Amino acid sequence: MEATTTLTLTTVMAISPWLFETPLLGSLAGRVPGIFFGLPLVALASLIFAATHHEDPAQIRLATVHWTVWLGGMLGMVLAAVLLLGWLQ
Amino acid sequence: MGRNAEPQPSRIVAISPDDGTAIDLRNAALAAVLSWAVPGLGQLYQGRTTKGSLFMAAILTTFVLGLWLGGGKVVYASWKPGDTRWAFVCQAGAGLVAMPAVVQSAKLLGPARQPLLLNGFMAPPLAPGQYVSRSYADRLARHDADIRPDDFFDKPPLKQFRRDQLAQWHRQLGKFFEIGTLYTMLAGMLNLLVIYDAWAGPLGPSEDEKKRRAAESATTTVSTAATEPAS
Repeated sequence: MEATTTLTLTTVMAISPWLFETPLLGSLAGRVPGIFFGLPLVALASLIFAATHHEDPAQIRLATVHWTVWLGGMLGMVLAAVLLLGWLQ
Repeated sequence: MGRNAEPQPSRIVAISPDDGTAIDLRNAALAAVLSWAVPGLGQLYQGRTTKGSLFMAAILTTFVLGLWLGGGKVVYASWKPGDTRWAFVCQAGAGLVAMPAVVQSAKLLGPARQPLLLNGFMAPPLAPGQYVSRSYADRLARHDADIRPDDFFDKPPLKQFRRDQLAQWHRQLGKFFEIGTLYTMLAGMLNLLVIYDAWAGPLGPSEDEKKRRAAESATTTVSTAATEPAS
């Protein structure tokens, strides 16, 4: 048990710098505009929301698309309003 | 075992909103706890393997992606005055994957004055004036590019930090501190829906409920049209 714990801790300590300080991936992420980091979150929220409302995979897919369009549309309108206000100032 | 299994009398059963079949929730409370511990595990225990795998992949990927974007520093538990980490309340919803932060915080603030994992993974940032063990201070000075040995006052048997590590993290990570925090928070919050799904079944209305609502809606439309004065 103690050996397993030690092995697990050693592995976590060994891989965490590699996992979280990878220069190539970090620089790639740094080139992506911040707004695009919201898109996966919209897709994730839609997927989880759809999957918690249905059991059938086909229905889950349909509801995911529905929620993505609805949520993306709402957030898009808010973004457009904010950009418009910024442009008018 | 799965959604089409014959339910046993002592078990809690939910109805699928799609085809009206019974979903055996087995021990619903245990399933909810399992879904908190590992997202989707409760659904796997109930035999709902597609949904369980989907939840597990989606939530854990988002959490780990957020952790990576935030340089491994955005998930930590801290209740110090001036640095109360309310985001961790949401992040803790993702389950056991966030719990090393609790252990790290408890160890760092405990008598040992150092986290369990000495590389500081999920440990809270050091506040100005905070005392830490000599070994942790020496390790930070050796391995953290932003921390030098003279950032600590020598106060045997401990060392006292004299800068603000949270400010360093913000400067180092920029917008990714917030983006990583947002990803991990959202993963934890969405897991609450997953936990509810394991406990009570799907949230969507059943076929009967949809028909009842449609009938009610039709009745309301007809009665409204009948009471409207002719123009």
